[in-house]
Amino acid sequence: MTQEYDIKGMADKITALRQNATELQELSVGIPTVDCNVTRILANVKMLEMNINDVAEVLGK
Amino acid sequence: MSNGEYWNPILETLPREKLEQLQLKKFREIVAWAYDHSKFYHKLYSDAGLEPGDIKTFADIRKVPKIEKSMMRNVQGPDKDPFPYGDILCVPLEQVTEYRQTSGTTGQPVYQADTWQDWEYGTESYCYALYAQGYRAIDRLFVPFGYNIFIAFWAYHYAGEKLGCEVIPGGVLNTEARILKMQELKATAMGATPTYILGMAETARNKLGLDPVKDLQIRKITVAGEPGGSVPATRKRMEDAWGAKVYDQVGSTEIGHWGWECRYQAGLHVNEAFFLVEIEDVDTGEAITEPGKRGKMVVTSLNRYAQPCIRFDVKDLIQWNSRQCECGRTFRLLDGGLQGRADDITKVKGVLLSPTAIEEVVRDMPELSDAYEVVVTKKGDIDDITLKVEIVPEHQDEKDAVRAKLVDKLRVTTNLGYNIEFHDYESLPRSVAKSRRFHDLRPH
Repeated sequence: MTQEYDIKGMADKITALRQNATELQELSVGIPTVDCNVTRILANVKMLEMNINDVAEVLGK
Repeated sequence: MSNGEYWNPILETLPREKLEQLQLKKFREIVAWAYDHSKFYHKLYSDAGLEPGDIKTFADIRKVPKIEKSMMRNVQGPDKDPFPYGDILCVPLEQVTEYRQTSGTTGQPVYQADTWQDWEYGTESYCYALYAQGYRAIDRLFVPFGYNIFIAFWAYHYAGEKLGCEVIPGGVLNTEARILKMQELKATAMGATPTYILGMAETARNKLGLDPVKDLQIRKITVAGEPGGSVPATRKRMEDAWGAKVYDQVGSTEIGHWGWECRYQAGLHVNEAFFLVEIEDVDTGEAITEPGKRGKMVVTSLNRYAQPCIRFDVKDLIQWNSRQCECGRTFRLLDGGLQGRADDITKVKGVLLSPTAIEEVVRDMPELSDAYEVVVTKKGDIDDITLKVEIVPEHQDEKDAVRAKLVDKLRVTTNLGYNIEFHDYESLPRSVAKSRRFHDLRPH
């Protein structure tokens, strides 16, 4: 089952999402709407990491 | 098996060896996090001479001290900082977005703090359950439950939304209004406690003149909060009453939503990608890894960070099932769901009695209504058990035969004799939430 998916490709994109969201938060310099929306985005990024990145590491991808 | 069966086909079909590697990796991470960020866990582990780096193998997990509900209560409260969570909290208070508490009836509750990320973790865990039970974006979910400070059915709502379903909150409506709203909106699924699912069907028939099977379109029901979903006779009653498939789901405030049935109803799957469930012998504490042997559950939430739950001694009794589910998931199955709490299994007349065994007998007799109560007292030095039941209207003239059948079935199932009390139909208490039917009134 795990062979059918580009797990590494997905994990790389998820890592980039976290990077982008974190950089956006740094750029906002405290604009509440940016900070609070990024917090929510990062929570969902974490769900993706739990679903994809964690297992990518175990599978050596 | 089609990939359309799984919320995450990668994790849900991961080979067992890889799944255990994943669990070990995540267990080490959550222990290190808690050690570094919670004074409670730091002290607990330091006092035991344990550092996170000591956990190198799966077997090392058992070196980590367990926690119990009373330990969480002890570090929380009105004079504890940060209020009210105390030293168990791992994040600054301003990151906490959700408050819930346990619904236990004794003493101070456990206050549960979640960040938005932790709340998402709860939702995501529940998505695994609903997707496995066949919920899809086309479904219209009705939640006949008063959302409140307890965790119950919040995640059902949020997970339904995340799957793309249409979610109807039935919060403050009364039972009749909820049934009529479900009928009006042609709801296809709902989530509630087994007691309330049965109670709603009774109300629909007796007060509204509706047959839930024909007059409503509920075809999937997720139940939680009581063991009934995994008690075959209770499940059959619910399925017959609604013409729907009924699926069990288990979780708790402190842990999250760790187990659920899939469409094949072969037992509860443990979401082993997000939770680590261990079983221990009740008396010796030895690990139980083989199927078919009952013990108490010790569970870890592998991704809950604000208020971690690591090796929590829940005291619920469970046992592994050896079957491979037809669904193709590699997540293991539990046999018979939660089989009561270790605290609830009590000796009566020297015999171990599980309240769910009585439920199975009562709910398996069509002559009896869904409601019942068990009262254990002491007469002199001798234990005495009374079972209160109601005969349904169409069998009212069969009292003696029903009594004989009930006594016989109870004796075979539980090895005990009972006083049977018949009460008027619809006179025993009904409940919308968790019901307490077992009352041990013996002096302890």
